[in-house]
Formats: sequence, C-alpha cells, structure tokens
Amino acid sequence: MSNFLLYLGMGLFTLVFLCLYRGVFGPGVLNRIAAISAIGTKTLVILLIMGFIYNRVDMFIDISMVYALLNFIGTITAAKYLEKGGEI
Amino acid sequence: MTRVTDDIIIRTVARVFMPFIQIYALYVIMHGHHSPGGGFQGGVILGASFILYLITHGVEDAKKRMSELKAGLFSSFGLLIYSGIGLLCLIMGSNYLDYGRLSTLLKVIPAQARSLGILGVEIGVGITVMAVMFSIFFDISTGGVVPEDEEGLEESDE
Repeated sequence: MSNFLLYLGMGLFTLVFLCLYRGVFGPGVLNRIAAISAIGTKTLVILLIMGFIYNRVDMFIDISMVYALLNFIGTITAAKYLEKGGEI
Repeated sequence: MTRVTDDIIIRTVARVFMPFIQIYALYVIMHGHHSPGGGFQGGVILGASFILYLITHGVEDAKKRMSELKAGLFSSFGLLIYSGIGLLCLIMGSNYLDYGRLSTLLKVIPAQARSLGILGVEIGVGITVMAVMFSIFFDISTGGVVPEDEEGLEESDE
C-alpha cells in the first residue's frame, strides 16, 4: 500500500511539471491561471499522500486545507481581475 | 480601485465561507503548539477572509468591517500582547519570554504556564499578521486614494 501511494505521488509530481510548462509558455493568461490552479490542487493531493505515507494525516490535512483555501482566493482574484481588464 | 462585483454566486459564496474561514483560522492559532501552524499561519488565514470580503464586496462595505485605521490599531494591539507577555516574564524575575515564571501568577504548574504563555504570544502574533496583511492589500488595491473619513476616526477613539 505504501509503495502504491509512493508511485501515485511520483506520478502527480511529474504532472506538476507538465502544468508548469503550460503556466510558463502557455498562450494567454487564462491558460496560465488554469495551470496555476491545477498545480495548487495537485500539491494538495501530494500533501495528503505524504500524510498517508508517514501515517500522520491529521497533521498534513491542516496544511492542505490552507493550501486549498488560498488557491481558491487567488483564483477568484485573478478571475475578477480579468473580468473587466485591469481592475480588481 | 476595488469595484463591487455584481455576481450573486461569488457574493454568496464569500459571505457563507467567511465565518468558516475565520473559525478555521482560530483553530490553527489555538493548535499551533500541537500541529503545524501557529500565530503567523492563522493570522494569514484570518487576513485572507477579510481580503476575500474586500474583493467581493468592495471597499465601502469592507471599511465598515475593517478600516485601515482599525487595521493599524489591531497590529499595534497584537504587538502589545506579545511584548506585554514578554515584559511580564521580565518583571516576574526571569528572562524575556521565559513563561515558566508565570506559574505563580496563573497558579498552575510551570509546564502548563509555558503552554498558556506561548498561546498568548501566538494570539498576539496572529492579530498583528491579520491586520498587516489586510492593510497591505487595502493600500495596494485602493492605491492610497481613499482617505480616512472623520467618522471612522471618532468611532474608533471610543
């Protein structure tokens, strides 16, 4: 079970770099925002997998919830910025 | 300048989420010495809730909840708690922020006094971080063009 979670985490770790490519070179701002949001979600899942591997989920779930919250607020801010260009 | 959004979904979600975010921030502050987190992280989450309110409801509504003057007062108040607990330890005859000596004042064993002392310090740090985060975001989003009105000054003096 622990090996399975480890490989799952490594697979997600690889996918983060694919998202990072889209975030850096992606055409347009909307692609970049979507890529950053996806990276945030993947980081959350990787944190939870780390918690399961170390058997300390109760510790890691706090950090992942904070990550999800800040990701949510960041996405809302970016979307509002783009709604009518140039003002929050 | 932050404008008011007219999207009902965003406004409702922000209004419903805000108490839960703040309760979670208080949880992170209170459990700072048992689990990851603490004063700074809890303060950031608490500030994020006010930033979410400012983004969704605009400057005018946000100033009723938390104006720039109140943010300044809160940041000073948090520092006062922090340094006050430190100085209390100094007055009681031990080192600065050495909470063990507070046990005679709180009438508990020294280990419990250390736990309570660091909890007080974390509450101070959390209040300061929350106020400073909000103040930075407020200043950047308004560009410094919103002057503090006279009513706000008089209200906060009470």
